Amino acid sequence: MTQTANRTPAAYDRAPSGAHDATFEQFWQPPPGLRVLSSVSHRVVGKRFLITGFVFFLIAGVLALLVRTQLIVPENTFLDSETYNQIFTMHGTIMMFLFAIPMLEGFGIYLIPMMVGARDLVFPRIGSFGYFCYLFGGIIVLSSFLFDAAPDSGWFMYVPLTTSAHTPGMSADFWLIGITLAEVASVTAAVEIIAAILCSRAPGMSLSQMPILMWYLLVTAFMIALAFPPLIFGTVILEAERLLGLPFFDPEFGGDPVLWQHLFWLFGHPEVYIIFLPAAGMVATMLPVFVGKPLFGYGFAVAAVVSMGFLSFGLWAHHMFATGLPNMSLTLFSAASTMVAIPTGVQIFCFVATLTQGRPRLTVPMHFILGFLFIFVLGGLTGVMLASVPFNLQAHDSYFVVAHLHYVLIGGFVFPMFGALYYWVPHFTGRMMSETLGKWVFWLMFLGFNLAFFMMHLTGMRGMPRRVATYPEGIGWDRLNMLSSIGAYILAAGIALFIVDFFRHRWVGRPAGRNPWGAATLEWLYPPRSPGYNFRAIPIIHSREPLWDQPELSRGDPAGIDGALRAYPDHRRETIGCDPVSGAPIQILRLPHPTWFPLVFALGLTMIFALTLAGLYPWTMAGAVIALIGLTGWIWEPSDSGVIRQTGVAGLALPVNAVDRRSHLYVGTAGALLISFALYASILFAGLYLWNTRPLAVAQTALPEAMPAIAALAGACATPILAWFARRLAGVSRLVGAALLDLGCALAAIGAAFAVGLALAPVDPWATAFGAVGWALGVFVVLNLAVVVYWALFNALRKLAGAVRPGQTLPDLLLASFVNGTALMVAGAAVLFLVLGRMA
Amino acid sequence: MDSALGIFGSQSWLRPAGIGAASAHDLTVAMAIGLGVVFVVVMALIALAWRADTAPRGWWIWSGGVIVPLGAILLILLGSTMALLAMTRAHDDALVIDVTGHQFWWDIVYDPEGAAVRDANELVLPKDRPVTLRLHAEDVIHSFWVPSISGKMDMVPGRTNILTLTATRTGLFRGQCAEFCGVGHPRMAFEVRVLDPGAFDDWLEQTGGEARKAARPDLQDGREVFETAGCAACHEIRGVAEGARMGPDLTRIGARRSLGAGMWRMSQGALAGWIADARAMKPGAQMPGYTQLSGPDLRAVSAYLASLK
Repeated sequence: MTQTANRTPAAYDRAPSGAHDATFEQFWQPPPGLRVLSSVSHRVVGKRFLITGFVFFLIAGVLALLVRTQLIVPENTFLDSETYNQIFTMHGTIMMFLFAIPMLEGFGIYLIPMMVGARDLVFPRIGSFGYFCYLFGGIIVLSSFLFDAAPDSGWFMYVPLTTSAHTPGMSADFWLIGITLAEVASVTAAVEIIAAILCSRAPGMSLSQMPILMWYLLVTAFMIALAFPPLIFGTVILEAERLLGLPFFDPEFGGDPVLWQHLFWLFGHPEVYIIFLPAAGMVATMLPVFVGKPLFGYGFAVAAVVSMGFLSFGLWAHHMFATGLPNMSLTLFSAASTMVAIPTGVQIFCFVATLTQGRPRLTVPMHFILGFLFIFVLGGLTGVMLASVPFNLQAHDSYFVVAHLHYVLIGGFVFPMFGALYYWVPHFTGRMMSETLGKWVFWLMFLGFNLAFFMMHLTGMRGMPRRVATYPEGIGWDRLNMLSSIGAYILAAGIALFIVDFFRHRWVGRPAGRNPWGAATLEWLYPPRSPGYNFRAIPIIHSREPLWDQPELSRGDPAGIDGALRAYPDHRRETIGCDPVSGAPIQILRLPHPTWFPLVFALGLTMIFALTLAGLYPWTMAGAVIALIGLTGWIWEPSDSGVIRQTGVAGLALPVNAVDRRSHLYVGTAGALLISFALYASILFAGLYLWNTRPLAVAQTALPEAMPAIAALAGACATPILAWFARRLAGVSRLVGAALLDLGCALAAIGAAFAVGLALAPVDPWATAFGAVGWALGVFVVLNLAVVVYWALFNALRKLAGAVRPGQTLPDLLLASFVNGTALMVAGAAVLFLVLGRMA
Repeated sequence: MDSALGIFGSQSWLRPAGIGAASAHDLTVAMAIGLGVVFVVVMALIALAWRADTAPRGWWIWSGGVIVPLGAILLILLGSTMALLAMTRAHDDALVIDVTGHQFWWDIVYDPEGAAVRDANELVLPKDRPVTLRLHAEDVIHSFWVPSISGKMDMVPGRTNILTLTATRTGLFRGQCAEFCGVGHPRMAFEVRVLDPGAFDDWLEQTGGEARKAARPDLQDGREVFETAGCAACHEIRGVAEGARMGPDLTRIGARRSLGAGMWRMSQGALAGWIADARAMKPGAQMPGYTQLSGPDLRAVSAYLASLK
């Protein structure tokens, strides 16, 4: 690196076109007019997520009111059964996939950079891309109403009800395709959040000095990266069963309907904690502010959150106690489920202990926090009851569970979220919302909620099952349902009043001064609405509560605060990159300026999904081409690494874009590999599951060919060796040789992909589910190899085109790591093809 | 049309009439009281914390967040596991009943390896005698649930799930499908009658065998309509038309207390309405409407079916 620093070519410090004499404020300005769609700023994207998520919340809320209106009296004819089924399905689907997850992503994307002292996310374009995938996926799901094909099989989409035999038409396809597209946003947000928190903290912010919300979001992001892949795999194979007739879940061909439930709840249970944890993190952020003292038990809380993350993956089967699991599994999953009470209890007691430290202020957000404590504790306790197997066998799929899940999700997510909106809306709009109306909103929501949902515990105990479009008179459910419906209207009135308050405050709300709540965290450094670059100079952090403990941050003009990167010699958006653990500054991160490529990439992907839905399969190639153009344009940018710049702090000079394993790009690649491995593990899980439950059909599955499997193994071993040598040659500036090795790596990957296909040739995926899973494994590793091919060709082309300078080995490091991961998966698949078939 | 509800007993799990339901009931009461106390204490602690102005201690979190919850959940796990083992204990002398879930009704075969008495949509159980239900599904996943007698168990295509239950009180109870199974899901119920063991044996004997002969001319006409109008393509009446299993067995339909899988009070009028347009009475029902039947034919066939006791 010292070599290259000496001969820094002028091209490296090229300003983006038109920005040569732009001032700092100018090149951080979001583009005007419609061109704002090309903005990748975390503030713009975060607010888009929040607004879109809230709109979906209102849509799903209206659907909930239709449900409650239908159930207000027995034998009601307000909705017929078909419509009712569509409405409860869409209510759950929208609330879980299009409201809760995007809303927390919105808060994360908006708040993380400001809380950790960065000017933007580490990968702002991924945020923008994810948003468009979410928006277009959501539109696909919602558009089903226009085609009178709204999904009607429940948000859990259990097979075989959702197979084409029992749900003909396109309703299930709308769900599977739309939701899979929206899920892209979730996994990209996971990588984004992990990299932003680990790689872009202000100088001095070690892991233990991060605001507590960052811990919650970090754990949540890892959970998303591991939990969504089983669902993505499940939705893809269910769509394959519907479109191609592959028998993954068909017992006649050695499939198993319960496999879907395992895959769904492997996602579905962590999902609940994915929704809850960020909300709890927001409570842990707001509560100390209103007490005026730091959170008590920061270490306890972090340990609780991390252990909750691990535990959440070990208890999915408690949604399946009635499927006929053996007693041993029932007991183990029951025990694991009850254990969640401990980390939850620790967090609640941290909050309670924090309250004792001073005289809390009873603000509107504080009302919602107290509401959260009341509702969530009650919901947590009914959760412990549900972990008891004999109790669960009664309560499962009854209204008791409806009550429980709304207590934990509305109590654990919606109440904190409304508190968070009252708390952070001044940051978005620069005005305070009404204290008086806010209290009305709270009391309407709190009383309405408890009336609506407490009754459902009793309705469930009186034997009312879930998901019934109507119920007979005289069985003892009439009055309870009437009360629930009235409560739901009161709850809705509270939310309507919130909307009134929101629009009211935009006009007449009191302007929010600097740090209106007396908060401790960095997002309140500037008076709202703060400028788009977040920090004119990035402050140095010595404390977990910087605004409380560092008086220099609250004095005078925030733009004048001392810190890093005040100078902008290259006229580029930049922020400080840190060591993931210590938080020591190690690099200057170049951040992208507004660009249309993420939108083009998202549009291309949407075309692939929408044209598949429409049955126009050949046209999906057009979408693929557009997606590739978007992706290539996105990543084809000048390589900046190797330039050294002054940070303006204590004479510290840092490289632009570090080239080692601490690089944000390396962290991002590792995150992508994590998701890929989780997908791979989901496929192996499916195979292992069928191996275990359908041994006869497994034995009937044809064996893969041995010689091609050995060839695939050899190809898999060759790719990392070639990529390693390419990296070595690039390191000594032999760029042509390195490019040739990249080409060799691509060729080896193509060879391995063909070998995988040949090995699977004798296996008929339509004959047995196990064979279909074998093909799924093959297709998955081939897709990974396709990424390797694209990536290796891209790297070779950039070297030959002169877009890479000597000594810039980061692209080779990233490719090599991805190739290592892919080779491991291909080799694993090849060994399985060789060994497994021959064991039976 | 009268709803069948009036004739049934409870669907509540708080008034148990079976071993499994009794354990669940006891656990419900114990946990509701115990955890209710926990809830009140936590809320009281929050109120105290609100007023306090003092430095917290680490042991508060250890005791409130770790030790107390650990104790509570160990107690719950112990109670639940003991109840679970008692509920699922296999009995060699148990009566075996096959129940198969269909969209949207229940096929029931008593003693499938012996007398193999087939009936539908009404489950009759002997009091105090262990019963092993073998649960199957024909099309999609259903779930067998009689809250008053036992917890539920799913019916999964391609699998046979076992539910062991013992009814402990005679009377009428209502069961309902608990897994969402499509349009007819809210109307997929069944009646459960628990009889004294002697009465149960008599009932089983009476229910087996061929259908009652059509004794009157109008009933004979009805039987003829049944045989010629296409009913026998899906329904079986033992001794008249055998082998079809697409729809419920009708050999003793007149003896059932309800029609449409626990939905309507059984009567000749209800039967006629059902035959003319089943889907109007039960959305999602697989049976097509027989509007083409003439008035006299409809009267005759419904009278015949009502006579099959």
